[in-house]
Order: sequence, then structure tokens, then C-alpha cells
Amino acid sequence: MILQTDTLSLTLQGNRLLHDITFDVRPGEVLGLIGPNGAGKSTLLRVMAGLLRPETGRVLLDGQDLFSMPPEQRGRHLAYLPQDAPSAIGMSVWDVVTLGRLPHRRTVSAEQDAAAVQQALNAVGMSAFADRSSASLSGGERARVLLARALAVEAPVLLVDEPVAALDPAQALTVMELFNRYAAQGQAVAVVLHDLALAARFCTRIAVLSEGALVSIGPPSDVLTDALFADVYGVAVRRCGEVAVPWSLVSRNRAL
Amino acid sequence: MSRYALIVAVLVVLVLLLSILSLSAGPAGIGVLQGLSDMLHGRETIAATIIGQIRLPRMILALLVGGTLGLSGAALQGLVRNPLADPGVLGISGCGALGAVLVFYTGVSAVWAPALPLAALSGAGLATLLLLALTRGGTLVLVLAGAALGSMSAALLALTLNLVPSPYASYEIMHWLMGSLSRASLHDVLIALPGLLVGSAFLLGTGRSLDALTLGEDVAHTMGFSLRAVQWRVVIGTALAVGSGVAVAGGIGFVGLVMPHLLRPLVGARPSRLLLPSALGGAALLLAADLFVRLPVSGTELQLGVVTSLIGTPVFFWQVWRLRGRPG
Repeated sequence: MILQTDTLSLTLQGNRLLHDITFDVRPGEVLGLIGPNGAGKSTLLRVMAGLLRPETGRVLLDGQDLFSMPPEQRGRHLAYLPQDAPSAIGMSVWDVVTLGRLPHRRTVSAEQDAAAVQQALNAVGMSAFADRSSASLSGGERARVLLARALAVEAPVLLVDEPVAALDPAQALTVMELFNRYAAQGQAVAVVLHDLALAARFCTRIAVLSEGALVSIGPPSDVLTDALFADVYGVAVRRCGEVAVPWSLVSRNRAL
Repeated sequence: MSRYALIVAVLVVLVLLLSILSLSAGPAGIGVLQGLSDMLHGRETIAATIIGQIRLPRMILALLVGGTLGLSGAALQGLVRNPLADPGVLGISGCGALGAVLVFYTGVSAVWAPALPLAALSGAGLATLLLLALTRGGTLVLVLAGAALGSMSAALLALTLNLVPSPYASYEIMHWLMGSLSRASLHDVLIALPGLLVGSAFLLGTGRSLDALTLGEDVAHTMGFSLRAVQWRVVIGTALAVGSGVAVAGGIGFVGLVMPHLLRPLVGARPSRLLLPSALGGAALLLAADLFVRLPVSGTELQLGVVTSLIGTPVFFWQVWRLRGRPG
């Protein structure tokens, strides 16, 4: 299932948050959404998830307008994981992940639901925690349980906002590999990232946002140029093999 | 049998036992079965009159008012994701009481009896509508707006008591404000029944949406559950159930706060799993409290609302104690 945005623009209270954004997230790819703080990455993801209605433009799921789709259908097609979601305090890990099955209201059997939950828990390496209370988990464990909740939807499109922010390097690698595995199964994954090294390594394509506009999109090697780092982020980089490491600030005309 | 089914079964048995006890308790030494049988066969015996006119209405109202209070507490707590939510805490009961007292004070209810329940329903309904209008933002605003509504209704009730012309009228208002089923009649049952049942149906249907809301409004929305829709369901259900309950039983507080708190460790924190057990638990609690006030311990009968408040406030304090230091 392909998710397309068509000339999206959004202005809230006089602030231009998104401007004329057209791109797509294709089945089988992990699309990284990157850009400086305040560039509009999370806003764009919220529009793509159907949470914010754009002023102009459309979001299309396999050609069908997202905002005119029945809510239950949208819920099965698209899973969204925000950056700072409440974590259903007090519920068991199993119950939290089971919430991901809610969009499939009575359309599938209890066995199918249980299998999907088990598979999602296995995928994030939390199956041993199934009976634990979610209140007793560490920050990283909680983040992985919420990710499992989103995976349990088994939606063809997965939208994730900064999933690795609370994770140590090993867990961050595990989660990024997980996205690649899901994409390999034919799912379309869009993920907001701040870690450019992870973006370079794991994303099929990268979309760069700056001041609400899409400034570049393509394979990491094409997009993550020294000029882009200087223009968009205002940093000079050093190269360690394939990966560019932000190294120093460069002087720019616009205020940070 | 699953743990959940077992707990529901135990609660059902408990409610049945307490209902039978409620029918049996009273100063007149009559046979309950005899009375029920006489009543059903239309025989006008003393036992039939006592069961049919006094004890059965009291038992039915304790059962249904307690049940809907427990249920609306569980639903409201699920909606605002805060274990302190309760029809009393959010000012819904208070505004219902205010509506009823205004009708009583102005004498309208003496002329036209249905005005009292209708006014209580309107009070609770207006309160919940105002809560909705004020809470386009989020759940914290809802709790604060509820506190403001509660304070406002308390102030206006105090003003009414202050201005009331006769000591008899103020005694009547006080008696009813404290919550009681001691004068429950068949007429009360008929007046309250539709609101209690329809309200319960609304509330019992919110389980899945409340489950989804535990992940936050955004995620619930992306899973196909609209916050506005579940807000309306809970608000309409609560207004109907609590308004009808207040109209016939006065201000009975804390049942909706206590039952979810007691049952959460047993059935888990999933809101959908808390609704039915909280309703059954609320029914059991109010039946038990109404039996307790009938015990001949002192010269005067205790008020039902006083007893539930005495049970409820320690739980309220305990909840606040547990929430201290928790962000948000």
C-alpha cells in the first residue's frame, strides 16, 4: 500500500508549518524524515496519520483520500506511533500490545489477534515481559512495548516519530533493523529520525524538511551531502567511511 | 473459567445475596417470599404492601443507583485517564442536585412532581455539556472544569439553603442533599428507571474506545476511535444515569470513586474490563450501605450519602497520596 502526499500545506495561527509537500512512502521501503528542530517533521507525520487536516493538498492511501476514509478502515491500514505517547499505565505488557488489535474489531478471530500480539512482542524482544505490568518497565522497555503495539496492528503503512530517542545504541540498531525487516515484507515505513548516521545506514530513502518545505528526497548517499548539512543544519561534517558526523558549526545568514 | 468471569460471577452472587437481605431487613417481621407471592398475586396483605411499596423500591433503587454510580465512575476515569474522576468530583452530581433543589425551593415540584427528576437530569446534563464545551483542549481542563462546576453548585446550594423561607423546607433539602433511600417509593422507581437503564447502556458501550484512549488521544484517533464520540457517549450516559439517581436518592458520593479503585487490582487496568465489575460492585456497595443505615444502632437512621462519603474519603486521600509526585 502506497501513501502519497499531494501538495500539502498547513498554516496554524499565522505560522507556516508545511508548504507544498509532495512525496510518497512506498511499500518495501523505510523512508527517513529528517530535518532540524522545528522543520515540521512531526507535523508532517501527524498529517500523514490523519491527525491534522492540511489546509490544501491531500493524503492518499493507494489513491484513496485518507480524510474521507471510514475511521476503522484507516485504523487497519495505518499504524502511528507518536514520540511521547502515554503508556497505558498499570496494564500488563500483553494487554498494552493487544490494544493494537482494536482496529480489527470483530473481523478476525481471537487466535489471530493473539498470534499478532505474540509476533509483535517477539519482534521487539519483549515476549518474556508479557505478564509484567507496564508501570514496572524502564524507559527503553516501555518504548519497545509501544512499538510492539504499533506493529501488532499489522498495518501496511507504519508511521513512527523518533522511535530511537529513548534507546541505547544496541536497542536503536535492533529497532532500525526491525523496520528494515518489516519493509522487506512489503510494508511502507516512514520514520522521523534525528540520528543521521542511523538514517544513512537504514533508510531506503531520506526526505529532508527545512522550515516546513521538502528540500530534498532520495537515497541517503544522494541526499546527505556536505552542502545539505551546511545549508539545512548549519554544520560542517567529517566523513567516517559512508557516514557523515557533524563536526563544527558553520556561519549562516539565517538565525537558528 | 477466566479470572474476569470468576470475579463477575462472585460479584453477581454478592449483589443477589445483598438484594435478598435488603428485602428481608426492616422492623416488620414479615416473610419475604410470602410478601412477594402475595404481591404478584394481587393479594392486598400487609406483607405484600411492605414488600411492594417500601422494601422492593428501596432495594431496586439501591441496586440501580449504586450500579450506575460505579459504572459512571469507571467510565469517567477511563475517559479522563485519572483515578480521581467521579460524578461527584466532576461536579455532575452537584449540578443535578442544584437543579432538583431549585425546583423544590420554587415550589414547582409541589405542583408537578416530575419536575424534580427532570430538573436533576437537566442540571447534570447542563453540567456535562458545559464540561464538554470547556474541554476541547484536553483532559486536565476537564478535571479543572469539573472542580469549578462542583464549587459553583455547592455555593449555589448553600445560597438556596441560606434563603429558604421555612426551617421545614431547609430540613427537607438537607435530608435529601445528604442522600437517602429511606423514602423510596414505586413512583421513584418509575421516574428514575428509564434514565438509569438508558444511561447504563450508553456507558457499557464505551469499553473499546476507552481502551484505545489509554494510548492517548492521537493513537486512539489513528486506530479509528474518535475522542469526541466517546466523550459524548460518556457524558450523555453519565448525565442520564447520575441525574436520574440524584433525583430519587439525593447526593450519594464516592461510589464511582471507590469501586474502580477496589476492583482495578483484581481485573486489571484495562478500562473495558472495569465497567461491568464496577457497576456490580457499586450496586453491592450501595445495597450494603443501605442495609447498614437500617441497623438500629442509634435513635435516628443514618443518611446513606454520609455513609458512602465516610467510606469514600479515605480512598480519595489514598488516591491523592499515590498520585503525589506523578507528573501531569
